[in-house]
Amino acid sequence: MRIYAIAVFLFLYVPIGIIVLFSFNAGRHASELRGLSVQWYGKALSNPFVGDAFVTSLIVAFSVAILSSLMGTAAALALQRLKGTMRVLFDGLIYISVMIPGIVIGIATLVALVTVFDFLNPLLASIWPEGTKPPKLHMGYVSVIAAHTLFTMSLVIILVRARIAGMDRSLIEASMDLYATPWRTFYQVTLPQIYPAILAGFLLSFTFSFDDFIISFFVAGANTTLPIYIFSSIRRGITPEVNAIGTMVLAVSLILLMTAQFFLRARTNR
Amino acid sequence: MSKTNDDNKPISAKKFMKYFRSYQKGSISRRHFLGVTGLGTAMTIMGTAIPSLWSGKAHAFPDLGDRLVFSTWPNYWNQVNLDEFSELTGVHIQVNAFGSNEEMLAKLQAGGTGWDVFVPTNYTISNYVALDLIEELDLSRIPNYDAAANNPKFAGPATVNGKVYCVPKNWGTTGFIVNTKKIKSKPKSWKDFFDVTMGKGSGHTIVHDYQLTTIGAALCALGYSFNSIDAKELAEAEALLIKSKPHLFAITSDYQPGMRSGDAWMSICWNGDGTQLNNDLPEMEYVIATDGGEIWSDFYAIPKGAPHLDAAYAFINYMQDPYIQARDAVVHGYAPTDARAIALQPDSLGNDPILHPAAELMNGLEFGAAQTLTDPIRAEVIARFKSA
Amino acid sequence: MGAGSKPNQWLTVALLTPTSIWFLFLLILPLIVILVFSFGERAAVGGYAGGFTFEQYGNLPSRLKAFQNTMLIAPLGTLLSLIVAYPLAYYLALRVSRRFKLLLLVLVIVPFWTSLLVRTYAWIFILGGRGIPTLLEFIGIEGVRLINTPGAVLVGIVYGYLPLMVFPIFVSLEKLDKSLLEASSDLGGSPFKTFMQITLPLSMPGIATGCMLVFILLMGEFLIPAFLGGGKVFFIGNALVDLFLQSRNWPFGAAVSVTLVVIMLITVSLYMRMMMRSKTGRDESLM
Repeated sequence: MRIYAIAVFLFLYVPIGIIVLFSFNAGRHASELRGLSVQWYGKALSNPFVGDAFVTSLIVAFSVAILSSLMGTAAALALQRLKGTMRVLFDGLIYISVMIPGIVIGIATLVALVTVFDFLNPLLASIWPEGTKPPKLHMGYVSVIAAHTLFTMSLVIILVRARIAGMDRSLIEASMDLYATPWRTFYQVTLPQIYPAILAGFLLSFTFSFDDFIISFFVAGANTTLPIYIFSSIRRGITPEVNAIGTMVLAVSLILLMTAQFFLRARTNR
Repeated sequence: MSKTNDDNKPISAKKFMKYFRSYQKGSISRRHFLGVTGLGTAMTIMGTAIPSLWSGKAHAFPDLGDRLVFSTWPNYWNQVNLDEFSELTGVHIQVNAFGSNEEMLAKLQAGGTGWDVFVPTNYTISNYVALDLIEELDLSRIPNYDAAANNPKFAGPATVNGKVYCVPKNWGTTGFIVNTKKIKSKPKSWKDFFDVTMGKGSGHTIVHDYQLTTIGAALCALGYSFNSIDAKELAEAEALLIKSKPHLFAITSDYQPGMRSGDAWMSICWNGDGTQLNNDLPEMEYVIATDGGEIWSDFYAIPKGAPHLDAAYAFINYMQDPYIQARDAVVHGYAPTDARAIALQPDSLGNDPILHPAAELMNGLEFGAAQTLTDPIRAEVIARFKSA
Repeated sequence: MGAGSKPNQWLTVALLTPTSIWFLFLLILPLIVILVFSFGERAAVGGYAGGFTFEQYGNLPSRLKAFQNTMLIAPLGTLLSLIVAYPLAYYLALRVSRRFKLLLLVLVIVPFWTSLLVRTYAWIFILGGRGIPTLLEFIGIEGVRLINTPGAVLVGIVYGYLPLMVFPIFVSLEKLDKSLLEASSDLGGSPFKTFMQITLPLSMPGIATGCMLVFILLMGEFLIPAFLGGGKVFFIGNALVDLFLQSRNWPFGAAVSVTLVVIMLITVSLYMRMMMRSKTGRDESLM
């Protein structure tokens, strides 16, 4: 059993080890190791497009995570009061949005938006006052964030709802009996109980959005997210720069994880 | 050869640097510097020269912005040139490599690409113009471009309805590359290519993932025109492709990694990539097929709505400098269309048989035809082949 | 506010409004557009031209192979991931001391944070000519080709989605009441019997969730077959990207998308019904 576990961990980590090793490659072609050097880290860090892509990905992922957890939690709370047809309708929509493959979401959103823009842009131009430049609608931050949020919002709804179902209702009733306002009941009783689910939803949404390639590929317009940048670097001819970027992303997530762990431990020890 | 520097004549990068240094040292005036380097014209037209930006900055052209998005083909640039342009202007270049003209067209049709400069192939330009996706060029902003030095056979497609939409980059041929250590039968034609694929070389051939060359190769192997849009001929080509599919190693336009790793022994190939492979691995031999194939020229163009228009013009102008063109070609192995650049090339390249094939070899080659890009049957044939 | 209506109802409506807007504009509207487009025709230069024809749906058989590949490799990949993941999850949940449990679990999840792109691309080297085949040549096995085969795609799938499978199974095994296991062995149950009668049924919710997640992602997969299949192992996802980015045949792409969605809806609801009937997978086990 232990040997099996070790084998699986090797399977998981050997490719990552190779990525890290080749990021220190001194050669230009990623397939041959020619001495060690950190030049590719320098190249990646001094390349403003890597920075741009990273910032774009962060902005998108944070917006998606915040929007999803707010809207998803609100919807989950409201849905438990909903009965009948509306409830069935919403349940159906939630499952469909989780079930539909990302590639279809990407394509459908692209096609729909292009159609809507083609219709709206001439209209905007015609009603815009003479002499000023009419705004031109196009793909960008808004379309990626919106398309990602569809999936992640439904994810948060499912997570939070599962948590509400397992929640101790007697506390809420007790609070109501004590004439607490609904807001107070929510803030002091409900929220602390569903908080872990919201946090999990936030993290999942962030991870999903940060790593998504296929939806962004279709709807990001001129905005390059990190996965899109990596994809086009791989197509441009594989250089160790990609490995350096991958290693840095891994290092950043490890550091974040260890910091979180450190703070958690500091809190529990107190 | 490069000429003397009156105001409208091109200037080599070496001279440019000399002038740039003199300008920095203050021995020539800014006006003179901008004049001789040809970059002044752009600034005069813009009329937005901001004096304060010129004081003591390392970058000579701050008003160009600091970003440029350049969409081109894999292995088709000299990084030294791009880095030098960034150093001179402060404009960083993002290179996007694409697998096919179809892909570029699809991206441009969907809109909002953010590209500033892209590299279309001869047969696509009239389509781009018809779809209103490409800027008409203001040649006064590209003083380094010399129409007279360019062979009209290659530069011709840049002009549509009397208007110039792009300037030539390089020209080349599409044939195939053979790893002669693995395949010893010396295939000469597309017919041989498919025979070897389905015979001794089974499992080790790469074909491109877009319509023009892959369907074209199959058509040539069957004795038809590379550009055919005849439904019956295309059906035969499709049958040949589908029959060969189980014997292929991959369907991709990025064939260098597969050839270099030894997984693939033969691939449809552009001549410059053939040179690149041959330089590193002498057993790689580039073949112009005796039964036909493609001859093409590529261009620098600006898509409609390019976000960094000034940087785009400055970049194209820089890349048109004969010295820069020659320096580009040394790395990517594709011949310039510009006689001034050819004259600057080392003799070894000028006589290179891959770069400048003998005339009789090129007799059977055809320029890609504009209608192949939008022909629905060709589009569907390649898509069916890929998902077969 | 109308007379007699409770403020509570308004609150419910207010809480649901943003979500409804999202569903309307980013789910219902795009799906309607795709559905309408799927009955249209390809414009002369590519893209969409209006019309009403079943031509696109009639053309579906030409993508049969892509559908077959997906419908075969997606379930197979899910199953393989389960087979690889289950023993590991079992080991982590039941055989590791508390001290190391969290650490090892984190180690399973960490790879998930490097971009899927980068992880998949590592396998291009490992399976490519300079990787394992070269190693095999040293021990005398020649001419092995691994990259651009269905096997390579399967390895990429298991590698890419293993954490997604391990995590839910781990959670359900972790919740398992250990006294049950002890009782079973006290009563003389063999380890195998204990596993089949207690552990496995109780971990079903985790298995169901993991399989569902991986299966959904695989049905729309594009990257792994694109990188490790070299255009030879084509999924529907690849056919779709091709239709939109190469042949620019939007109506046909729309028809393929609609078909994929219908297949997904049927498969997943059948699967969920099956799980609910066996009473082990409950609604919230989805996540």
